[in-house]
Amino acid sequence: MKKVMVGNHAVSWGVKLARAEVISAYPITPQTQIVEELSEMVAGGDLPARFIKVESEHSAMAACIGASATGARTFTATSSQGLALMHELLHWAAGGRLPVVMADVNRALAPGWNIWTDQNDSLAQRDTGWIQLYCENNQEVLDTTILAFRLAEVVDLPVMLVLDAFYLSHTSEPVDVPDAALVDDFLPPREARHRLDTADPRSYGALVKPDAYMEMRLQQQQAMTAAGEAHERFVQDWSARTGRAWPALEAYRADDAELVLVTSGTITSTAREVVDSWRARGERVGLVKVKMFRPFPTAALRAMLRGKRRVAVLDRNISPGHGGIFAEEIRSALYDVPLDDRPALWGFILGLGGRDVTPETIDEIVVRTREAEGAPEREDIWVGVKV
Amino acid sequence: MAEAIPAVAVSTTTTRVNLTGSWKYIRPVWRDRVAPCNAACPVGVDIEGYMNLLREGRDSEAIDLLLRENPLPAITGRVCDHPCETACNRCSLDEGVAVHAVERALGDAALARTQGEARARRNADRIAVIGSGPAGLSAAVFLTRLGYAVTILEAAPEPGGLLRLGIPPYRLPRDVLDRQIAQIRAEGVSILCNVRMGRDLAWDTLDWFDAVFVATGAHRSRPLDVQGEELPGVHAGLEYLRRANDGHAPDLGKQVVVVGGGNTAMDCARSARRQGADVLVLYRRTREEMPAIADEITEAAAEGVRFLFLAAPIEVMEQQGRLCGVAAQRMVLGSPDASGRRRPVPSDEAPFSITADAVITAIGEEVDGAHLPFALEGGAVPVDVLGRTAAPHFFAGGDMAGHERTVAHAIGAGKRAAIGIDRHLRARRGESPPPDDVAALRWGGAGNLSMSRWRQDDPVPRIDPVNEVVEWADINAAHFAPAPRLLDWIVPPGRGRSGMREVNRGLSRSEATSEAKRCLNCGVCNDCQVCMIFCPDAAITPDPSGHGFMVDLDYCKGCGLCAAECPRGAVTMTREGL
Repeated sequence: MKKVMVGNHAVSWGVKLARAEVISAYPITPQTQIVEELSEMVAGGDLPARFIKVESEHSAMAACIGASATGARTFTATSSQGLALMHELLHWAAGGRLPVVMADVNRALAPGWNIWTDQNDSLAQRDTGWIQLYCENNQEVLDTTILAFRLAEVVDLPVMLVLDAFYLSHTSEPVDVPDAALVDDFLPPREARHRLDTADPRSYGALVKPDAYMEMRLQQQQAMTAAGEAHERFVQDWSARTGRAWPALEAYRADDAELVLVTSGTITSTAREVVDSWRARGERVGLVKVKMFRPFPTAALRAMLRGKRRVAVLDRNISPGHGGIFAEEIRSALYDVPLDDRPALWGFILGLGGRDVTPETIDEIVVRTREAEGAPEREDIWVGVKV
Repeated sequence: MAEAIPAVAVSTTTTRVNLTGSWKYIRPVWRDRVAPCNAACPVGVDIEGYMNLLREGRDSEAIDLLLRENPLPAITGRVCDHPCETACNRCSLDEGVAVHAVERALGDAALARTQGEARARRNADRIAVIGSGPAGLSAAVFLTRLGYAVTILEAAPEPGGLLRLGIPPYRLPRDVLDRQIAQIRAEGVSILCNVRMGRDLAWDTLDWFDAVFVATGAHRSRPLDVQGEELPGVHAGLEYLRRANDGHAPDLGKQVVVVGGGNTAMDCARSARRQGADVLVLYRRTREEMPAIADEITEAAAEGVRFLFLAAPIEVMEQQGRLCGVAAQRMVLGSPDASGRRRPVPSDEAPFSITADAVITAIGEEVDGAHLPFALEGGAVPVDVLGRTAAPHFFAGGDMAGHERTVAHAIGAGKRAAIGIDRHLRARRGESPPPDDVAALRWGGAGNLSMSRWRQDDPVPRIDPVNEVVEWADINAAHFAPAPRLLDWIVPPGRGRSGMREVNRGLSRSEATSEAKRCLNCGVCNDCQVCMIFCPDAAITPDPSGHGFMVDLDYCKGCGLCAAECPRGAVTMTREGL
């Protein structure tokens, strides 16, 4: 059934179809609509879940952790400062191997106070042990929400699904809402490997000495690796059921491309247009969309970019003192490609704090990358700034 | 190697090996205490108890529990000044529970129930009750339930005493009163009307009875002691009300001055207003000192009664033998008197006059001691807590006995006297009465007496009860969301005959249940499970009896979270038994 809905409500519908059992959240723009809709679904009896009101995002995540530890399927949503406030507990969820699913609506961090889209909030949580999946459109948002629960529960890791503020969160698009039976078949009820049980009381999260800590981290890392493989399986499974596939990496007109743009989030859709216009002029320009940021799809990315001459990475984020975060990760992944096949890489910073990224902006990036001579002049090239 | 180490930081064995109970030096105990409403109730009703039953949907048991301590709930639910609501701990959260409205709904539901069989007489002792006001009716019902044969002798043609003569039908509809009395008769109480003691029947005739409870009230209106008081057009408050309530109100004219600030004054003012008069209440103190029920003052004002405070009449004026007004003196408040209220003293201002066609005096009622078998002291019959007088076998209570003159206090006095008489007669019969510790019978040690405690047949299962009142500081407010108090449905009074229809329509049954759910159940475990949920050692489990909790002392480490979290102060930490 197709419905027109904003990206935030696509998340809510995904959570409803996934039959989340405990939802705890604290409102923050531009996320609020997600949990507002969910609270109404719960209050109206459409979603038989517990909705826990809390006084902060820190508590929201704490409530999710507690609920998840009892074996419940658990969801929360946040943005920007709210996600930053959760930071300590993100480690608790991941280290506790709790399959909490969270939607983060990408929003710039303050100051200056800003409610528009920017990836720094989610990327700042890179090392907390959460799987991160970035979405391009509202259909992908809904489908990814459902997949996120299955992925999380199979590998016992939390999943953050990420969508752009306003460009997705508050923009209406037609979305195909799958049948509940289809989703139920795809996503079975959670079977927790560890759960709090008063009949067999055990201590969780207590002291782990140096003789065991590393092995736990190793298992977490192995689970991340497994998550990459599981994700691919579930993408295929979902595709077989719905005809829609949202892979970890998507190559668009990139096979014979000499110049490849690498994007994430809604910039991808704009970049597709730009690629098409260059192709129409016979230029071999292509695109790689990165959906999965953690675990990082290193091998697949190497395979896609190997042998290309020029790669331009578009980062709506900045690691101050270094460069665009996607660019740095991709540059690092390409290091193992033999020099002859290793593309030159230009990292562009654009669209921070919600600044508009237009086809002209991306055109400029294509032109600058095509016409550059020799190695990139610097690691971060700022586009569309008033200097 | 990694396989031997779990993926998460979980203990490899059950934490049951760790007997955290060995750490403790205090432990929790569940002890039911007393809610402040129960302790404040002049009747001694287990208010918290019936609220809890209503919350659980056990309506019929709630009605039984109420009737057990108050045989006149349809009446008190309408006319009591509900000190329980002022004492209610919920006042500190948002607003006190509307106890009166819940009581009224239950009282009306009790009247609608099929009447039970009359109580069986279980002993040969016979008891006479003189007066069928609230004190007499109360004593008679309780004594009947205790197995006595009780006869009420009433001077008036119909029973009810002040309930009928003094309280207007728009506050207490006559059919409610009649049905309440019919229910009391159905319990086995005999009521003989038109028998005035000392006139129709000599007091020594009562020697035939094994005990006598006298509750003939205070009916003589206190005089103003001013010039002109004997003029036609000056009416004594109670006498005016008796006639007005009967439908034979005297003609008052257009302008009426009511003197006084108590409930009689309010009733007179409201009744006169219903006759179409402009009514001015003259009170020598201020609104804060008025002894009338606050609701009645509010309703009187809403009905258009005007008030002139700090003014006292010094003369009822006449013109050609007809009442034409009142001369009054401005007053100021001086130092507090014996009642604790500031004494009004005349100001320096010159007297002023108020035009009036009639004056109703309602500055208080006195006990008429002329025909009583015992002497008055300070205007009242001296009695002890159980209603005993100096005369053997004679007990007394109600408005004649010196306590606060409210319907609730009268019912409470009737209950105390019933216990006093039962105790006296059981001793005389050679039975051993329950221990003579009245404080143990009192709710919270200082409230009115509990009949269930006297009879030792309290139907409420109580966990190690202690007779101690729960204060707001004992309540964990975090567990209670604010919820507005439900308001009575007040309808505007009509004129003429419709002016007698009831003004306050109360709450519906379902609203009453909602209101009961606002009750915090202070001090009484209602199995909310908060202690169990918060116990970090999972050491608390429901008691197998279905009520209350057990604590596993092997694991309770005495942290006190259960006591701190208990929403209602029913858990305390103690060193006892360790």
